[in-house]
Amino acid sequence: MRTAVLLGFRLRQEVLEWSGAWWFLMTLVVQAVVAPLIGLFVWSAVYPDDPAIARYYVAVILVTLMTESFEQHTFSERIYNGTLSHELLRPQPVAVGVIGMNLAIRAWLTLLGAPIVLLTGIALQVGFDWWAVARSTPYLVLAAVLVFLWTFLLSLTAFWTDRVHAVVGFGSQLVFLFGGTAAPIGLLPDGLRRVAEVLPFYGMSGLPAEIAAGTRGDGSLGYQLVWVVVLVGVVMVLWRAGVRRYTAVGS
Amino acid sequence: MKLLRLLAAGFSMSLRRSVAFRVNLVFDVLLAFTGLGTAIAAVLIVFTRADTLAGWSKAEFLVLIGTYQLITGLRTTFIDPNLSWFPETGIREGKLDGYLLQPAPSLFLSSLSLSSPLQLIQVVLGVGVLAWGIGVADRSPGAAGVMSWLVLVVAGTVVTWALSVLLACLAFWAPKLQLDVFYHSAWQLGRYPTDVFARPLRILLTYVFPMALIASVPSTALLRGPQFGVLLAGVAAAAGAAALAALAWRAGLRRYTGATS
Repeated sequence: MRTAVLLGFRLRQEVLEWSGAWWFLMTLVVQAVVAPLIGLFVWSAVYPDDPAIARYYVAVILVTLMTESFEQHTFSERIYNGTLSHELLRPQPVAVGVIGMNLAIRAWLTLLGAPIVLLTGIALQVGFDWWAVARSTPYLVLAAVLVFLWTFLLSLTAFWTDRVHAVVGFGSQLVFLFGGTAAPIGLLPDGLRRVAEVLPFYGMSGLPAEIAAGTRGDGSLGYQLVWVVVLVGVVMVLWRAGVRRYTAVGS
Repeated sequence: MKLLRLLAAGFSMSLRRSVAFRVNLVFDVLLAFTGLGTAIAAVLIVFTRADTLAGWSKAEFLVLIGTYQLITGLRTTFIDPNLSWFPETGIREGKLDGYLLQPAPSLFLSSLSLSSPLQLIQVVLGVGVLAWGIGVADRSPGAAGVMSWLVLVVAGTVVTWALSVLLACLAFWAPKLQLDVFYHSAWQLGRYPTDVFARPLRILLTYVFPMALIASVPSTALLRGPQFGVLLAGVAAAAGAAALAALAWRAGLRRYTGATS
């Protein structure tokens, strides 16, 4: 309960702090929507008469905006400049600060990106089944958790290397290719599709988008939950090892 | 000539700094490989479902990706280390003040004096993909096509430099405006032919933010033969963009009063 209250305070603080950087947040919105927009144009050129393509990619854009994570900037930089020490000395879990900032940025991106999603939807005359959209909510929540865990996990490598941006960049490429942004999973060649359905990346983007778009009736929450448990375990192991290795600036 | 010697000296110093961190070399090479691999895979997936995309064949797409990668490599090697995050590093942290005191043109020092030699791996990989594309193309490019591709790649590189300078110049008027993320996101659109995009975006990418000149136009010239009008337009665009960048820089400097003022 105490942690939830602390998280609420932190979230409020971060939302207010980021409100002054709305222009920079807009550039982050553009960054988030470019890859799905390219996918939308490419696959619409391949299947010009299939409205499901546009519906799916509009959903992917929204899912991407709602699940973006930047821990390689917000958290790893604290390891590099030593200010992680401040967080370690506070009588609260370090994760409270990281999650608070993550949720604040996502809230701003969703708010600022909503007009783009709306305009794209109107321009392409995309119609959604709102029951399917409602059904996608639990999948979206788990996708948000998965993306955070994946990015945070890769950001923890900052304890060992100063090339965390390269590591997270590699992770993003995997999400792009196997997550359903480069192509809807159903359009991948058979072998690749089978691999993509097992890896966690599909659960980060493609699965909730497919359910919201109505191209898939139901999915397996269990598949996402299993990956959440696995990633939480790996994050905890890496966090403990990383903190043991961490040496504060000046010591 | 003096500027070329300065460029060579800057590159040499950057190279010596870079090779001191060999693990970084491994990371950069791996990331360049995976980044390019992902881009190619995304396109090859499309070609498992279609023979052509917006009138472009697989070979043409590979040539386009190779050209895009080559110019991106040149940008990340020679331009980004100088002009990335310029409002913060150049203006607010005062690096520009140091350049203004040195006996060389401030535009050259601010935009080309530093480099990231390890990023040249992207150029090498780009050339590799280009060769792959040419190898699987139905017909080999002619001498005229190769020449016009070369001219247009140089023009594309100049436009890239000019766009980066123009973006940096905005900092003289709005030092808090940080558009690097936006610029690098929009850059991704150059990896695909402009024919793929909807008409408004296509016009934007051809005339306003000329990403078409980066890869689409040179690739078309290489495989489909040169067009004199396009060649002329490319060279004119490069000259115009460079002149505009130099003018904007001069106007910005007249307005600039120092990092702390």
